[in-house]
Amino acid sequence: MKRRLLRLMGLIVLLAIVTVPIAFLWPKNSSSSPDPRNYMPQHPTHVEHEHIVEGDFQTPQDVTRACLECHPDDAREVMQTTHWTWQSKPVEVPWRDEPVTIGKFNQINNFCISTAGNESKCMTCHIGYAWDEYPPNEYDFSVEEDVDCLVCHAAANTYAKGAYGNPAEGVDLLAAAKSVGIPTRDNCGSCHFNGGGGNGVKHGDLDQSLLHPGEQLDVHMGKYDFLCTDCHRTVDHQIKGRIVADNYHIDPAEQVQCQDCHISVPHDDERINGHLDSVACQTCHIPSVARKNPTKTYWDWSKAGEDLGDDHYTYLKIKGEFTYERNVQPSYIWFNGNNEYRYLLGDKIDAPDQPVYINKPAGNIDDPAAKIFPFKIMDTIQPYDTEYMTLLAPITAGEGGYWHDFDWDKAFRLAEERLGIPYSGNYGWIETYMYWPQTHMVEPAGDALQCNDCHGPDGGRMDWQALGYPGDPAEWGGRFENQ
Amino acid sequence: MTKLPPLKTKRLWRALILMLALGLVYGVHQAFATRQPGPPHQADATHIHPSFAILDAEGQNVLESGAPLSTMQTCGQCHDTEYIVSHSFHADLGLSDYKPGPGLNASPGAFGQWNTLVYRYLSQPQDQLLDLGTPEWILTYGLRHVGGGPATTGRNGQSLLDLPPDPSNPDTAFLAPDGTIQAWDWNQSGVIEMNCFLCHVATPNNTARKATIQEQNFAWANTATLLGSGIIEEVDGQLQWNPQAFDENGLLVQPPLQNPTNENCGLCHGVVDMSQDVLVLHDFSINNPQTATTGQVISPQKISESGINISDKDALTHSWDVHAERQLQCTDCHFSLNNPTYSLRENAPEHLLFDPRRLDIGDYLQRPNHNFARGESAQHNIAAELKGSMRRCESCHAAEPGHADWLPYLDRHMAVLSCESCHIPQMYAPAIEQYDWTVLTADGKPHIHYRGIEGHSETDDTVTQLVTGYSPILLKRQNVDGETPLAPYNIITTWYWVYDDANGNKRPVREIDLKAVWLDGDGYAADILAVFDANGDRDLNHDELIINTEEKRSLIASRLSALGLNNPRIEGQLQPYSINHDVTRGDWATKDCTTCHTADSRVTQALEIAPYIPIGATAEFAESNVQYKGRFYTDENGAMYFQPDPLEEGIYIFGSSKVNPVDWFGMLAFIGTLIGVTVHATIRYLSIQKRDKQQHTIRRVYMYTAYERLWHWLQVLVIVFLLFTGLIIHRPTAFPMFNYSTTVTTHNILAAVMIINAALSLFYHLAIGEITQYIPRPRGFIDQAIVQAKYYLRGIFRGDPHPFEKTPKRKFNPLQQITYFGLLNVLLPLQVITGAMVWGAQKWPEVANSLGGLPLLAPIHSLIAWLLGSFIVAHVYLTTTGPTILSSIEGMITGWEELEVSEINGNLHGEET
Repeated sequence: MKRRLLRLMGLIVLLAIVTVPIAFLWPKNSSSSPDPRNYMPQHPTHVEHEHIVEGDFQTPQDVTRACLECHPDDAREVMQTTHWTWQSKPVEVPWRDEPVTIGKFNQINNFCISTAGNESKCMTCHIGYAWDEYPPNEYDFSVEEDVDCLVCHAAANTYAKGAYGNPAEGVDLLAAAKSVGIPTRDNCGSCHFNGGGGNGVKHGDLDQSLLHPGEQLDVHMGKYDFLCTDCHRTVDHQIKGRIVADNYHIDPAEQVQCQDCHISVPHDDERINGHLDSVACQTCHIPSVARKNPTKTYWDWSKAGEDLGDDHYTYLKIKGEFTYERNVQPSYIWFNGNNEYRYLLGDKIDAPDQPVYINKPAGNIDDPAAKIFPFKIMDTIQPYDTEYMTLLAPITAGEGGYWHDFDWDKAFRLAEERLGIPYSGNYGWIETYMYWPQTHMVEPAGDALQCNDCHGPDGGRMDWQALGYPGDPAEWGGRFENQ
Repeated sequence: MTKLPPLKTKRLWRALILMLALGLVYGVHQAFATRQPGPPHQADATHIHPSFAILDAEGQNVLESGAPLSTMQTCGQCHDTEYIVSHSFHADLGLSDYKPGPGLNASPGAFGQWNTLVYRYLSQPQDQLLDLGTPEWILTYGLRHVGGGPATTGRNGQSLLDLPPDPSNPDTAFLAPDGTIQAWDWNQSGVIEMNCFLCHVATPNNTARKATIQEQNFAWANTATLLGSGIIEEVDGQLQWNPQAFDENGLLVQPPLQNPTNENCGLCHGVVDMSQDVLVLHDFSINNPQTATTGQVISPQKISESGINISDKDALTHSWDVHAERQLQCTDCHFSLNNPTYSLRENAPEHLLFDPRRLDIGDYLQRPNHNFARGESAQHNIAAELKGSMRRCESCHAAEPGHADWLPYLDRHMAVLSCESCHIPQMYAPAIEQYDWTVLTADGKPHIHYRGIEGHSETDDTVTQLVTGYSPILLKRQNVDGETPLAPYNIITTWYWVYDDANGNKRPVREIDLKAVWLDGDGYAADILAVFDANGDRDLNHDELIINTEEKRSLIASRLSALGLNNPRIEGQLQPYSINHDVTRGDWATKDCTTCHTADSRVTQALEIAPYIPIGATAEFAESNVQYKGRFYTDENGAMYFQPDPLEEGIYIFGSSKVNPVDWFGMLAFIGTLIGVTVHATIRYLSIQKRDKQQHTIRRVYMYTAYERLWHWLQVLVIVFLLFTGLIIHRPTAFPMFNYSTTVTTHNILAAVMIINAALSLFYHLAIGEITQYIPRPRGFIDQAIVQAKYYLRGIFRGDPHPFEKTPKRKFNPLQQITYFGLLNVLLPLQVITGAMVWGAQKWPEVANSLGGLPLLAPIHSLIAWLLGSFIVAHVYLTTTGPTILSSIEGMITGWEELEVSEINGNLHGEET
């Protein structure tokens, strides 16, 4: 026995003498980067609700009540989120004396302009029920059973929302409730792919083509079949990642970053990595947006009301004239994640011949936190009060609204009456710009921009001097180089 | 036998392990060099050129004279145009080296060197027949000539304008289409001065320039370059200066001048597309020579986004040319040699890293040297003294940062391979493979084959087939600095008729004579059709248009003879074309070890150089800086291939190079040994069965100390693995499951362990004196060896006892002694030395080269490996000749060996247990 042990020991020593040097001297591969998939969240195990949920449901609130029996805290969690409140906590902004809240609920954009006053249509995308039971601007945000669980959790083919945030007519509430699960792209997309009033209208980088995307359209959702929540990680119904258009400042901790998963130095090319201090990932990896479905880039409300013959992509009597574009090349500006300015109802505009920035992303070449970032710019001609010099928010939907009576004056007076937006009786048209950050539709690495797309005598897609450089930084040097 | 006490053995073990570890740490070490600065960059094209008057040849403002402009006068107002012209090989094109003679080439440039693709031959003064005179040279070669040089100056140095029209002087003679030779009046046509605008205007009108030349209106060619700029306009077919473009003083308001861009160079050199538009290729003719001859396309665009029908295009998401993508201009590498920004000042004293004494920018602008830095291409030999004046890859790029972490033997690879070998792995556009001028198509063109496409192209300048691209052939290039790296090439084969003229000089058959032989009016001559037209359609298709029978050859030869051409015969030329552009990076470059280190190595990859060979013709490589060691072969379809043989070039590629005799001999030795022991074992086995078991007295002896057993088994383990990994390195194709670079690393580390183990063992044997056991004693050695041999050949089968007693003090019989003596003194040291030299070939290349280089060292290393393998077989077999089959091995494991008590010598030395 002892002899056998000795022989075994001898063998081990022999092998050690051979293997230890091999292991020790093995060439170390320095550039191995961790698999980004290691950093993705785990999906919760799906619990089939087919046999858990029982009817019978007379109202959508019955469904919510049933949900709350087992998930008692969830409505309260949801009611903390901007998906429910549609407005931020009060923030101080330099151009106002009092803190203000910003959000869809109380501010305007340059698409359909205002949700407030247009609850019948706009609240189709609010996760609350029963907007019809309250006067405009007086919705009760504290009723737990008005939280719409189904819009996010029901299978998309079983559920849809209709007027005033209520389920569309004909929805089988029991079938929808039995189908609940983790939110899919269909759930999120039912609102976010249709922002601005239709497929792809608003964002440029979000539309229904992402329901079944190819690898070329979106490498995350196409090649790897990501859910929205794989990046927009969600804890207690707080969904990470917010759009800057309806905010002033966003805490970086609340934002989704590419680096959440792609944590190492991502390129094996030092020259490309040298860009990372000044160029956002999105700039090169999203060369164009609206690649399959077109997005709206221009909207002239002043042309509305004519009987020119309606066409979805060029003119509608209720909305005016507009332009849809496909394969939109983004515009590039410095961006540090915040807005420098966000138009708030009541803000005075400078001059009628100067375009108004509904939002203006913050950052410039001297801001070390800012990077060059791609944006879709929405260019709109919309109404303003020529006397008070403020943008106007017409009532469009419903009785007395513009879409009903085609009378702007009436629509503004109605807004003054319902929402308290002062109206002098004189209105005109003014050009407004709104910046939409582009961050979806990431293409496979091979399709990313390359040097000549931005650099060189042909100029490419960057206006270097407008960005604050003396000239092409490939020749004049980058902003952190000694000049 | 002195037995070491156990404590000392343990210490020895510890010391041994420590020494092994230290030795290995010291032995293998990789150093990282510091990064060198990146490439220099040129500023944007300037738009600050001051306004100036455009002058005609008389120095008069063209607004007044209405005459064509003179660049020499116009630009000469500020710049030293004479200096510029005289320092420009683009203008000279070989004129200053022109030397007529019996050979085909009278100069190293396009003026005087016969280009078998253009085919027209610039006739020499004494030639019997005139092919190209200087005027017609301008109409052909001159379309891609910047002017000046031979377009203004005759071969004797006189101005062309001073030469009297004379049909016997090739400078003033013109071969009319009817075959008559006419005198040329240069004063009527004018001459073409060096055309500054062709390169220094953003959008020169090259089409108008070429058209004007072809109209034989040489004087206006340079002026026509400005058409479309608003400076000059065409009114009723006449060029008229536009007064609106000039100010009240007659000065040009906005001179459209700039530094030459890639597009300017592309006008004459090949396809350049710096735009953001979809890239399409139309013209594959030699009007785009760089593209047509090699497939090089200069563009920053991704290949996947081009409009060309390239197979598997979607996956090619990289640019055509990484330098174009990264914003380099042609002039960043091919810079003016006295440009103060770029100039190398190579003659600066050694202690100066940077010589600040350089040309003032003003002086440079006055006299910018228009000889540009150039590389070492195989096809262009003009201004050979400037070869290598360009910065090479390594002048801007540091090799270590991108390679050291994955490429073993970095220096060795860099010494043998040019960067292009791996960084231009594939061409993605068609390139010419063969021009066959022995035949003519109905429209007077040669029979052309492109490579890199599917099937056969229709005509010479359109390719509509699927583009498959091709891998360039790797050939050894003789650099001016003495280095000889492998570099990628295309090889173009041309076949053509030559004849001996009245002076006995070989000259190519003129195109006009070829047409006379082949064509009759709009179609082929009847005699030709009778022999060539196999399918009787009165036209000749690709398969018919080949001189593949003696009948066809003699028909053409006789028709040429009938024109008075003496001794017409077919010759072939193989011209390599360097490929230095279309560089790619990172994963697109060749990175896999087994691309080269395999039986089917990239380095030995053959290139089809001719789809067919005209009957009886042979082709020779054109003289160049390329070395062609290798073999030609033809396949079953008659296509000719050239396969390089790197071993013959002195490049031994592990896993690819084969020295067959060594492998055969080694294998023979190994298999012979195997057969030998098998036969011996069989006879032994049979003889044991036949005879009665003889009882020998068995005794147990403590034969091997712990350390002896350790070093022995360590050596066993290491050598077996060394042989195995060595075999994989030698023949990776047989072991595809093993990673090549991993195997090489393992082999090297094992070798280090082996050497250290051997050294420590040697020290041990020397220190305790056991070494004497290995030294044969001269006295009576031969007799004793014979006794031992007799025993193995006879006695062992009879069951005789071992003739020599094995004792701890005398472990080896005479045969073992002589074997180990040879093994340890010859084979092992030789193996260690050759191995170390192979390993060190990159660290101390001189040492390795002084010992014959890898082509000698590597085969010796393989041979010894075979012999060591054979030794192991015999050695293992002989351990079975003890009292039992395993007793010797058992002894080597435990230290205690069972031995027969010899009846001859009795128990004299053993220690009874």
